[in-house]
Amino acid sequence: MTYLALIYVFLKVGLLGFGGGMAIISLIQGEVLSRGWLTQTEFVDIVAISQVTPGPVGMNCATYVGYAVGGVWGALLASVAIVIPSLVIMLTICYVYEAIRNRFQQNKTFQITMRVIRILVVLLVAHAAYTLMTPASFIEYTSWIIFAVVFILMLLPLFKKKSPATCHLSPATCNLSPATCHLSLLSNPILLILLSGLTGWLLYA
Amino acid sequence: MILQLFWTYIKIGTFTIGGGYAMLPLIEQEVVDKHHWLDGEEYANMIALAQAAPGLIAVNSAIFIGHRLAGWKGVLACVLGAVLPSIIIIIFIAMFFRDIKDNPTIEAIFKGVRPAVVALIAATVIRLATKI
Repeated sequence: MTYLALIYVFLKVGLLGFGGGMAIISLIQGEVLSRGWLTQTEFVDIVAISQVTPGPVGMNCATYVGYAVGGVWGALLASVAIVIPSLVIMLTICYVYEAIRNRFQQNKTFQITMRVIRILVVLLVAHAAYTLMTPASFIEYTSWIIFAVVFILMLLPLFKKKSPATCHLSPATCNLSPATCHLSLLSNPILLILLSGLTGWLLYA
Repeated sequence: MILQLFWTYIKIGTFTIGGGYAMLPLIEQEVVDKHHWLDGEEYANMIALAQAAPGLIAVNSAIFIGHRLAGWKGVLACVLGAVLPSIIIIIFIAMFFRDIKDNPTIEAIFKGVRPAVVALIAATVIRLATKI
C-alpha cells in the first residue's frame, strides 16, 4: 500500500511540478507532511542534504523521501514515478515542436499561460516557506539570525547587474559597494548550508 | 552515439550540485559548445520548453536532446544518465545518515542548517517573484 501511495504521490508531483527544483520540493513537502510520512524537521534535513549532494535538487529530494518512506524500493519507485509525466509531456512537446519551431515563444496564449503558472509557483513556494517557520526548525533567537543572514545573502544578486564572479573581479563596474560585491559571492546555497552547519556545530554542540 | 549521450548526461547529473538554474551553463557547454548537438537558438528554445513543461528541467532537457539525436534509445540513455547519479548517491547517503542522525554533533549541525534551508526557500519566493 505504501508503494502504491508513493507512486501516486510522485506521479502527481511530476505532473504538477512546474517551475523547477524549489517548486517541486514545495509540492513534495505538502504531500509528505499531510500524509504524516515524515516530521517537519526530518523533511527540512532531507532538503538540506538534497541541496549539497550532486544531482538536481528535486530528484535528490524525491529519491530521499522515497527511501525514507519505503526503503530502497521506495527510492526507486519515487524516482521513476516523478520522471514519467515528464516523459509523456516532453515527448509530446518534441513532436509538436518540429511543426511549430520558433513561433511558440511569441504566441500570446503561451505567454499568458506561462505567466499564470509563474504566479502560482510563487504562491506555492511562499506557502511552503511559511509552513516551515515553526519552533521545530527555529529553536532559539540564533536560528532567526541564521535565517536573516542567509535570506539577505541570497537576495544580494538581485541588486546588481553583473554576475557575482565578474563583479568580484572588478567591483568598480558593479553598482554595489565593493564590500557588498565580495559578500554576494556568498549567495550560493551549497556554501551557505555548509556555513550554517558549521555555525550550528559551534553554537549548539 | 547512445553511449556518448548517456555519458554526457551522467556528467550533467553529477555536477549539477544545487540543481535548478545552476546547471543550465553546464548543459549549454556540453550540448552547444562541445558536441554541437544544438545551435544557440535551438538551445534557447529547448530551455524555454524544458522550463515550461512540468518536472525537472534537467530531465526535460535530457528527453528533448535524446529524442532529437537518437529517438527512443536516446531518450532512455539521456534520462538514465540524468537521474542515476542522484539515485545512487542519495540511497547511499540515506542509509548512512540513518545511523548517525542521533549523534549530538550531527544534530547540532542540523540545528544550524534548518533555519538556513527555510531562508533558501523564502529567498526563492522573492527571486521568482521578480521574474513574473
